[in-house]
Amino acid sequence: MPTILRAKCIVAGDAGVGKSSICQVFHSDSAQFPKNYTMTTSVELLVKPVNIPDSRDQVEMYMYDSAGKEIFSENVIKFWDHPSVVMIVYDVTDETSFSSCIKWLERVRAMKSQTNIPGVLIANKIDLDQRRLISPKEGKDLAMSNGLEYFECSAKEMQNVDTPFFYMAHEFHKMYQERLQVYSSLA
Amino acid sequence: MFDVALASGGAQIALSTSSDDSHPPEHMIDGTDETFWTTTGLYPQEVIVRFQALMSINSVELSSYDVQNIALETSESDSIDSFEPLAEKEVERTDHQLQTVEVSVGERRAQCLRIIINSGYDHFVAVHRLKVNGKALHG
Ligand SMILES: Nc1nc2c(ncn2[C@@H]2O[C@H](COP(=O)(O)OP(=O)(O)O)[C@@H](O)[C@H]2O)c(=O)[nH]1
Ligand SMILES: [Mg+2]
Repeated sequence: MPTILRAKCIVAGDAGVGKSSICQVFHSDSAQFPKNYTMTTSVELLVKPVNIPDSRDQVEMYMYDSAGKEIFSENVIKFWDHPSVVMIVYDVTDETSFSSCIKWLERVRAMKSQTNIPGVLIANKIDLDQRRLISPKEGKDLAMSNGLEYFECSAKEMQNVDTPFFYMAHEFHKMYQERLQVYSSLA
Repeated sequence: MFDVALASGGAQIALSTSSDDSHPPEHMIDGTDETFWTTTGLYPQEVIVRFQALMSINSVELSSYDVQNIALETSESDSIDSFEPLAEKEVERTDHQLQTVEVSVGERRAQCLRIIINSGYDHFVAVHRLKVNGKALHG
């Protein structure tokens, strides 16, 4: 029987950057881009299994698509205990959303400060090339200095949305393998 | 008085929330520290151990790793739905050695023991051994 790991993935970032679109595109196997714009009031949970190559294992991603409006933040944080992995999203056409990333990351990491939480920084809406304000270099630098892996995507064009989730699932699976080594050495 | 949670003495795992077949919850009750049960992500996690018969238990001992908060409950019946709280404990973190969790319970009648891991110091925890000191109640 394959092992099924479960990872709680907190998806955070300012309102409107595309968090719900990204989650829904990934969740629905990129079959559709959500057309109706509904604002998440606190947290929406979506679950999607990810197969780990070269193993029979699977990581079930529990995506906590979290509202970005500040007035909801108390409500949102209630759902964030024991995060496994974190996805911070910004909109490449919106400077404020980029400068908010640190704040979101710190809030998630504060939930489990003694534990390593693998994470990704997502530059979304790269289809809006003409209006882009945040360069790839700025994104990469921010990711690097905060221990995140950098990815660019367009939820609208369904481009590169899956890759960051696969990355997080891998990292989580790797941590599990490492833990097993530790547990085996303890007897 | 003896360990009533040994598989070799008829104890069984009635339920568990995690799923690595290489490290199943049966490894907690096989009488050795060498093997272990692991959780596979998310909290809380739980295991229910059913003893061979209704027991009178005096203490529960666990050897574990990265457990932070643990709660124990017991049931006098062999169905797994009528549990009563037994104890809740914060466990200190250890570095590269097993945690020892000991709970004395006076005397408690139990056929099932439910172990709830409310939180851990890492994404996963392991329990290498469960020991329940008690004796069978006759009549
Ligand atoms: N052009 C473009 N628009 C997007 C993209 N992703 C999301 N949007 C739009 O941005 C708006 C906010 O998206 P939503 O997923 O609700 O953002 P959230 O508040 O972060 O959950 C919606 O109008 C989406 O259609 C993208 O990659 N490109
Ligand atoms: Mg949303």
